[in-house]
Amino acid sequence: MILLNLIYFLAEVVLACFFFGFGFKYLSHFGTLGENTQLKVWNEELQIYERTTGDNSMLILLFSVFTIAALILFIYILILLIKNVRAIIRLRKEGKHIASFRELLLDLLDKKFHITLLAAPMTTLVLFTVLPIVFMILIAFTNFDSDHQPPGELFTWTGLTNVTDVFLGNATKTHTFFGILGWTFVWAILATFTNYILGMLLAIVINHKLVKFKKMWRTLFIISIAIPQFVSLLLIARALEPAGAINVALMKAGIISAPLPFLSNTLLARICVVIINMWIGIPYTMMTFSGVLMNIPAELYESSEIDGAGVLQSFVSITLPYMIFVTAPATITTFVSNINNFNVIYLLTGGGPFALDYYQAGKTDLLVTWLYKLTVDHHDYALASTIGIFIFMIVSTVSLAVYNHTGSVKREDMFQ
Amino acid sequence: MKKVFSVVCAGIMAASLCACGNQAGNATASDVKAQEKNGAKEQITLSVWGAQADQALLKELCEKFAAEHPEKDWQFDYGVVGEADAQARYLEDPAAAADVFSYPDDQMTTLVEADALYEVTRNADEIKSANVPASVEAASYGGTLYGYPMTADNGYLLYYDKSVLTEKDVETLDGILAAANKAGKKVHMDVSNGWYIASFFLGNGCKLTIDENGKQICDFNNEKGLEAAEAIRKFCDDPAFVTGDDSVLQGGIGDDICCGISGPWVSASVKEKLGDNYAAAKLPTFTCGGKQVQMGSFLGCKVLGVNTQSSHPVEAMELAEYLTNEESQARRFEALGYGPSNVKVAESDEVAADATLKALADQSKFAISQRVNGAYWTPAEAFGAELEGHTGNDLQAMLDQLVEQVTAE
Repeated sequence: MILLNLIYFLAEVVLACFFFGFGFKYLSHFGTLGENTQLKVWNEELQIYERTTGDNSMLILLFSVFTIAALILFIYILILLIKNVRAIIRLRKEGKHIASFRELLLDLLDKKFHITLLAAPMTTLVLFTVLPIVFMILIAFTNFDSDHQPPGELFTWTGLTNVTDVFLGNATKTHTFFGILGWTFVWAILATFTNYILGMLLAIVINHKLVKFKKMWRTLFIISIAIPQFVSLLLIARALEPAGAINVALMKAGIISAPLPFLSNTLLARICVVIINMWIGIPYTMMTFSGVLMNIPAELYESSEIDGAGVLQSFVSITLPYMIFVTAPATITTFVSNINNFNVIYLLTGGGPFALDYYQAGKTDLLVTWLYKLTVDHHDYALASTIGIFIFMIVSTVSLAVYNHTGSVKREDMFQ
Repeated sequence: MKKVFSVVCAGIMAASLCACGNQAGNATASDVKAQEKNGAKEQITLSVWGAQADQALLKELCEKFAAEHPEKDWQFDYGVVGEADAQARYLEDPAAAADVFSYPDDQMTTLVEADALYEVTRNADEIKSANVPASVEAASYGGTLYGYPMTADNGYLLYYDKSVLTEKDVETLDGILAAANKAGKKVHMDVSNGWYIASFFLGNGCKLTIDENGKQICDFNNEKGLEAAEAIRKFCDDPAFVTGDDSVLQGGIGDDICCGISGPWVSASVKEKLGDNYAAAKLPTFTCGGKQVQMGSFLGCKVLGVNTQSSHPVEAMELAEYLTNEESQARRFEALGYGPSNVKVAESDEVAADATLKALADQSKFAISQRVNGAYWTPAEAFGAELEGHTGNDLQAMLDQLVEQVTAE
């Protein structure tokens, strides 16, 4: 235990060293996120304006987060250290055996095995997920946008301005947010349930005993999975253009006289993305459902047939409950991933058709694609971070609420 | 046992404290002088960003530069970052960005605001006089030169099929549309793109620029703008009109498209498709408020900038100047066909013989440099898409919305 204390002490020294040598100079600016921009000084000899190093708000914020984490770790280890010392003193007094370092190590493989197992995942989780997320969340309370790009222009804390901008202050942004939020939900519901229902029907048809060459049909549908999604999406986007393959084909066939605005008319573009998403998604749901269908005990159907149930009734009373029960958690996952379905929207329409009444967004934009544009194209990091937080709140609330009400959670052991 | 540990512990402590105290980077100036005394050459490592297509030439020119400056030991790190991405990649982490990087002049405002660029203060007068005035203006901000003009061909022009349209036809948009309709062909222009649609507004005297405070100015919703918008709507409603990006033009010209508006980067593929029927001209005039008005355009330059975070600013400036001098620009035109900004190269016979660059030079009289911030593009595209979609919404209301969005803080 004495050696353990030494290790703790060493860790404290390293942390203190990190704090004073590196972290403190950032943390001391945490309140303002930097005061001095880069300055120009004329250098007569070289004939250039030399730059003095100024503050960089982003680095100050980033390293402050890490320094604060180090401080918390410091305090935690300090508590451990004190506890340990007190334990040693107590054990000495009572004359009991003080565990040797070797025994403590062995204990990590035995009683405290959970600590050994979880050490690596927890450390990486904190370093690569928790701390960056804290950093991103903090950005939502600053004015880090295209006009405040360090090192030329620093950004600073602005409190809840971004939140009020989205909900109250700025008419265009509010309108954009709620417009996009509405479409995001419509899209997520349509995309999830069209795939769900049609995939299920397809699986049932293929699995029906009258259908021949089951394997061939299944393979044919799965081929569309073999092509990388982004390739097929980009190709379809090309084909849907006014001078693209589909319009040309329809015009040559004499069905239409002028090209249809597949991706430039709001309604048509929205229908297009839903339909193309079906084409991309149905093979997956079909595969899942085929697996589930093959697992339904045949006796159930046989006995229902003896009891005089028709095809429809056995579907409604056996197949459907079984399938919904098994696939409900997966469907929630699909719903959530559809809320954040970046690929289909961004590669197909790029969010377009763009709208004059939206703030840097189009009529098929989802919250997540809007967020992407705000960060990558417009450097509105603060606004994007705010929206990101809202997306997280919406998604987590919806999925938790629905998940806890599914049969698979409530009656976990029903189909066993 | 305990003593040994405390000694080890103290040792580690001392060592780590020293390591913390001695920050890296304090050692440059004196080391360099010491090296020079010893006869060793000063080692200079410069990183350079260029587009994928330019990499081979970039290497060639950098190596030539190194050979011509043997007094130092040069090392170059090449990064593949196209001009379009330069600003975004720079702002991700200025300290990690290249010492010398090329960017289109429309990114100038943002880069200067982020204090990313060194002013060109060494040999500034020579550079200003060696390059065409428009390119010097494009590389300047608030009267200060912030970069080394490299090309002056980031604009657009009219490509046409000589077998369908005559030189007389392409003088006016009405003439083009009449001839195209007669031949049953299409006229291509990407109206739902802020870059191209601006040509109507700019032609009719509207303003799109950035003032000295960095605020976007746009007056497309005035009377003149409305006239231009009506002309665009008329053009979009014409049966010969077709929109789409460059791939539509490249794929369709010579077949069902007889002419289209795009930049010099499609020149090679258009030439290939049209063969002997290839022709290029300045943009036509269009009927606006009952008069013929010349279409305006943007003319941009690619500019080399020197990163303010560079640890060898003087050397980086020398390299940037070298990469944009007369010889390098001539070589760049020869190897890649980029239109030079250098006066002498631009006047050379080879450049004058290039039909595309000649058309671009003709159009440049009606062109302005692109002083537009990021908020312009999406609303402008939305406006163009409305007209392409024949929605028939009130133009004045749409223009008001456009201007409100573009000039929003």
